[in-house]
Amino acid sequence: MAALITQSPILIIAIPLLAAFLTPLVGMASKKARNALVIGSLVFVAFLVFALARDVVINGIHVYTLGAASPAQAIPTGFIVPVRIILEVDGMSAFFGIIWAVVSLAAAIYSLSHIAGESGQNRFYTLLLLMVTGGFGMMFTGDLFNLFVFLEIASISGGALIAYRTRYADTQEGGFKYIVVSAIAGLMVLFATGILYAQYNSLNIAYLAQTIQYTRLDQIALALLLIAFAMKTGMVPLHLWFPDAYSVAPASITGMLVITSHACMYAAFRVCFTLYGRVIDAPVVGWILIVFGLLTMFVGVTMAVYQKDVMRFMSYHAISQLGYMWLGVGVGLAVLGNPALVGVGGWGREAMSGGIFHILNHAMYKPLLFFTGGALFHYTGTRDLTKMGGLAHKMKWTTVLYIIGTLSISGIPPLNGFSSKILIYESVYQFNPIFTIVGIIVSILTLASFTKAFHSAFMGAELPEYRGGREVPKSMIIAMGILAAGIVFITLFPSLIVDSTIHPAADALIDPNPYISAVIGVAP
Amino acid sequence: MTSILESGYPFWNPIVWIIVFIIVGIVIYFFRRRGQKGYKKDTDQTRIFVCGEEVPKAEDRHVRVGNIYWGFFETLKEYYNQVLKPHTGIINDYVLWFVAGTAISALILIIAGLV
Repeated sequence: MAALITQSPILIIAIPLLAAFLTPLVGMASKKARNALVIGSLVFVAFLVFALARDVVINGIHVYTLGAASPAQAIPTGFIVPVRIILEVDGMSAFFGIIWAVVSLAAAIYSLSHIAGESGQNRFYTLLLLMVTGGFGMMFTGDLFNLFVFLEIASISGGALIAYRTRYADTQEGGFKYIVVSAIAGLMVLFATGILYAQYNSLNIAYLAQTIQYTRLDQIALALLLIAFAMKTGMVPLHLWFPDAYSVAPASITGMLVITSHACMYAAFRVCFTLYGRVIDAPVVGWILIVFGLLTMFVGVTMAVYQKDVMRFMSYHAISQLGYMWLGVGVGLAVLGNPALVGVGGWGREAMSGGIFHILNHAMYKPLLFFTGGALFHYTGTRDLTKMGGLAHKMKWTTVLYIIGTLSISGIPPLNGFSSKILIYESVYQFNPIFTIVGIIVSILTLASFTKAFHSAFMGAELPEYRGGREVPKSMIIAMGILAAGIVFITLFPSLIVDSTIHPAADALIDPNPYISAVIGVAP
Repeated sequence: MTSILESGYPFWNPIVWIIVFIIVGIVIYFFRRRGQKGYKKDTDQTRIFVCGEEVPKAEDRHVRVGNIYWGFFETLKEYYNQVLKPHTGIINDYVLWFVAGTAISALILIIAGLV
């Protein structure tokens, strides 16, 4: 078991990659075997991620050096800088890894029925597994160039999956927009990487974090990295592509795309707190995140209320909720220079914890809600809410799961969404009470808009065009049930989650030194 | 306790809320049980009554999404006019926003570095 955990950072990336290439071959022989391969590989990866995360919490950061005699040997004999490809997993990476493992597994299970009637399923599952590889790579990589490479893998496979259902014109347009935006963001990341490499002769994040000077060029590189990742998360006003792309993808893929947004948020956090952690002008960057976070929350929710397409409605809510995360972490960054506020018990640390906790909650309820949106499309054949009504008569499971997701996203006690929002509200209130008021208004509007969608789709008398239909297949219910179970678990044990997962992740951001010394300090 | 979330301010315990919800649910069920017993399904007792008028069909009486919160959108018409403008659906515009956002952020960081 110890050897498995030692090798787990690379296995978590390599297994879905290998499975991706095997999928079309196995799929030619048997559809059932292919599905078993996809689900089996993702279950095993999820097991490895949980085992690795547990070990990171107990024993600290994992460093895995590719091609080294020992995985922990980050700097080769005779060298003074790390030159090999390094994977580095700390509390923050492990936290995002858990989210990605759970949601990608749920999405694959959901897809079994959701795309059962589509052609080209071998390609679909190959791309899905490549996207999983890209996501894990972004979360675990220890160098900037591989961050770019994995970002590209996740983006290209994501774009192809958005455009998967080729018989719809809007999927092609959505996929094209996603690819263009992702390519530009990827190029900016590559450009910033080049700027840093030209100055410091290294791509390793830990080494760069130790040597970075915060020159004018570094400031430009920071702006390029921050805005590129912010755009990929759908931060207002760079969100315009987000609903166009997310609303047309198969629902299982939309659920995964939400987590790729989280992966980009992780990358932005890694850049701000680790790469630039020792030199960053924290109050200025913190305020940039706060202002855009508030804008994202408010514009996202007001645009969501306005929507009539169920998936666009969900997409705008995803944007709005991401604003809470930027706000919480932005407040933590703004006060990063004050050890009393970001130390244990400080409200700066709690604001960051609230933001990070909200990422976990969002990763459970948002894919769940997208999946319910997909279930509505599966049943009615339309995303248009004006054409829906009375669906609760036939879709009892979907209705219950939608209600769980709605209560959670709206922050209604005792659901998990409330636990993270109360952490954000209380701590952000210490920074500026107006921000808390904005947060509460956004929550009210969230509930109002989900009530509107609930009434339109589920309530009322059974409409004649939907009589005789049946609830969605079991695999879709099971996938939604996995995420709903996650919501219930976090709801019941918020302190367990915060103490074992959220605080280690927040501490990993606040203090970049353990991340740096895990690589630089293990030289032979 | 793994259920009590302490943020340094008031604590949060979902179990208390769940217990309260269960108690309220039991009370509601108790009152419901004491209600009218002469209820008969599929009789006039359960049919919709609209002052003697003919009841519209299910599809005609369902309040559709476009009719909900009409007053809200009417009040915020100006806000929506402004906020909908950038949502052109044209990818060139989206890229322009990205370039502008990057340039402004870089300027802020450089100016803040000079101060």
